[in-house]
Amino acid sequence: MKPKVAFFDFTSCEGCQLNKLNLENDLLDILKHVEIVEFREAMDDKADAYDIAFIEGSISSPSCVERIHDIRRRSKILVALGSCAVNGGVNAMKNLQPIDEVRETVYGEDKYLFATLPAMSVSSIVKVDYEVRGCPMTQQDFLKLLVSLVLGKQAPRYDSPVCVECKLSENECLYNRGMVCLGPITRGGCDAICPSFGQFCTGCRGLLDEPNYIGMLEVMTNHGISLDEAKKRMLLFNSNEVQL
Amino acid sequence: MKRLQEVKSNEALDLYYPTMCEIVDAKQLTDLEKWYELKLPGGQDLGHEPGQFVEVSAFGIGEAPISISSSPSKEGSFELCIRQVGTLTKVLKRYEKGDTLGIRGPFGKGYPIEKMYGKDILIVAGGIGLVPLRSLINFVLDNRQEFGRLIILYGAKNPSELLFTDELDVWQRRDDVELHVTVDQGDPSWEGNTGVITTLIPELDLNLNKTIAAITGPPIMYKFVVMSLKSKQLPDSHIYLSLERRMKCGVGKCGHCQINGVYCCQEGPVFNYVDIKPLEEAL
Amino acid sequence: MECYSLKQSDVPALIDHLGAYGEVIAPHRKGDVSYSFEPVKDSEKVVLEYNRTLLPLKKCFLPPTEKLMDFSLKDMSYKPTEVPIKPAVYFGIHSYEMQSILRLDHSMLSGKAESNYFNRRKKSRFIGVSFSPDEYHFSESVGISIEEMEGFDLYLNKVSDDYQLYIISDKGKDLLKGFDKLIQAEPIHVEGREFNKKIRYHYNRLPRVFQYAYHSKVWAEVAERCVGCGSCNLTCPTCFCFDVNDQVEVTAEDGMRRRSWDSCMLSTFAEVAGGENFREHTLNRTRHRLYRKFKYITDEEGLPWCVGCGRCTAFCPADISMVDIINDLIREDEKAQFHKTVRV
Repeated sequence: MKPKVAFFDFTSCEGCQLNKLNLENDLLDILKHVEIVEFREAMDDKADAYDIAFIEGSISSPSCVERIHDIRRRSKILVALGSCAVNGGVNAMKNLQPIDEVRETVYGEDKYLFATLPAMSVSSIVKVDYEVRGCPMTQQDFLKLLVSLVLGKQAPRYDSPVCVECKLSENECLYNRGMVCLGPITRGGCDAICPSFGQFCTGCRGLLDEPNYIGMLEVMTNHGISLDEAKKRMLLFNSNEVQL
Repeated sequence: MKRLQEVKSNEALDLYYPTMCEIVDAKQLTDLEKWYELKLPGGQDLGHEPGQFVEVSAFGIGEAPISISSSPSKEGSFELCIRQVGTLTKVLKRYEKGDTLGIRGPFGKGYPIEKMYGKDILIVAGGIGLVPLRSLINFVLDNRQEFGRLIILYGAKNPSELLFTDELDVWQRRDDVELHVTVDQGDPSWEGNTGVITTLIPELDLNLNKTIAAITGPPIMYKFVVMSLKSKQLPDSHIYLSLERRMKCGVGKCGHCQINGVYCCQEGPVFNYVDIKPLEEAL
Repeated sequence: MECYSLKQSDVPALIDHLGAYGEVIAPHRKGDVSYSFEPVKDSEKVVLEYNRTLLPLKKCFLPPTEKLMDFSLKDMSYKPTEVPIKPAVYFGIHSYEMQSILRLDHSMLSGKAESNYFNRRKKSRFIGVSFSPDEYHFSESVGISIEEMEGFDLYLNKVSDDYQLYIISDKGKDLLKGFDKLIQAEPIHVEGREFNKKIRYHYNRLPRVFQYAYHSKVWAEVAERCVGCGSCNLTCPTCFCFDVNDQVEVTAEDGMRRRSWDSCMLSTFAEVAGGENFREHTLNRTRHRLYRKFKYITDEEGLPWCVGCGRCTAFCPADISMVDIINDLIREDEKAQFHKTVRV
């Protein structure tokens, strides 16, 4: 029997889910392997239990916490999709300010009506089996994971920085073009898509294990941006990860 | 330095293509380890030395270096025993009798059998270290009169992780094998030794000139075992160790297995202790 | 050695002529400030005055990523990728780049010779060109002069506005058959092409420095600045380490096995399946990289395994300089020697 697959969204832009719908060419091949039973962006079927649950978005309210626990209980395999789900993503920037100020800014005097929590990764609440990184997650990466799951193989893990794929594509280094790029400490697997099109890396796939923060800040400031700006760049997608 | 002009066209080899081998038998030994018997096409012999390894490949998953567990004296097939810890090996758990696996090799240098004839053989195996050493043990047993004493020290974390328990029983009963098994932590039914493997060494009565030690186990074990053997006055040159590294290509090219300047897949995985003593990254 | 003069304006004609032998690969502009070796489509686009290409010429013989085989999961069979032996001309190559290919020959062909590399290399011809060292080149310090001609079939020396062409091998002479724009000339010695970046010791003395440098504090100083991106290895012309990976199509029926360049500066390079990492810290990895260049292989082959192209330094985001590291090690070594002398 084909594995039952479901998609759920939490605090996010739902861009990752849209990205999947754009998989036109491969969609039929995917449906050979799995049966999609829940996908709010595309259908309204519901099921009780799932073989694979894909989670998009970060966990940022008490009701989110309750819901993710419920999904976990009903799922054999749980996958975090995209940077919000993997490490909190851009949402986690709110964690850098006192939560009360954040509520006031967003909801004004109605702030007491809306319970909120710091934006957290899915894995900080429940066990996550696999992750697909990036903002948005790339279709290729999603397909690789899906194929791995079908083959019963451990999903590919990217422990090498973006610079590796960038160098292998023989791109001109953006540092040599006077730009500041997070490629050296950002987890690769994206085929260095941004630098390949002349756009510096913003760190959307998360940082490597134990990056050299101080060395990286020095690199960035030596290439013309202020320490404050350098820190902000690092925090953009990785507020929950960066220890400065 | 090797020059292009010195290489004849027929000397340039396809190094990375596996031979497909049929699994003729498979058995889950413990929760983590599975044993496989494989046959090369036509039933030809692998032609390995005890201590050598092969690259096992499953398409779609990848390749990994695996020690050969059967003795070269076994004809028509060879055996592997694989712990499921990596991407490839976890998938191999599903491979059963009748499936095929790709094999490249045998690769590397094994135990120096020539130097071992007539000597007492001291085997020190920790955990899955028994897998490659089983090849040596069975070779000694198949040529029993060519060797002196056969002393086997085998340690595992707990009784449920002991490998090849049927064979352990056989070895235990033989008069010409001195087998000592220990576990780090026993269970209620365990009546044997408890304690790390080095606790078995002080009691040994060794003929120092005649003894050759063969050690394989987790990286952490080597320093302590070598220390204990040295305190028994066993000469360094009588100690052989098999080192684990990421031997990805097996043919001295890919670079992952370097120990300082030494390619583990070429000059090892079995080394004389004298040769690795000066290598800072070895132990 | 036969020497001819060749007008700058006749260089494109020479390139076109060489095309009769096989595909011509030459330096081209890439991006704002960079260069790369590319197949020649328009000989006018070839750039002969360049500092260094982003990736070394190695990429033509050991490609950054290379398919080793196609496989089928349905019947567990595979089809090897065939690498044809094709004639090719590598035009406008600097001396250090040529030296890196000779070293790569050793790495890929000694012990077990690899057919993929051998086939790509078999019918290659090399046309050298002189260069003006920039702030990163230091090949002189590793024994490679600008005019080092070993390995080349032809060599172009820039003399004022035009070139002098030297015929170095019979194969080079064959390449020129029927090319009529050459005029016999007396070799001219070109002055003033100096290296700015220098290792303080002759390279013969470096293995001794490295012998005592294993526990030097210099490694920790470098590790503090290194961000571990791997660019130094990935652009190095003598590095040859690679990784192998399987990729499966979405159909989960077919796939391919590929290899791609790897870097010993990356944190997982020496990690084994159980999780043990034999070079866990940046310090261990930086040290390993330099020992591979100046000690381990050098002890056996008598040559530094670095050709002084300067890529590892020019493309390092942290501006870590290979030459500065070595000069620091030399300084530490001298200090240690001095203290020993004083104590005695």
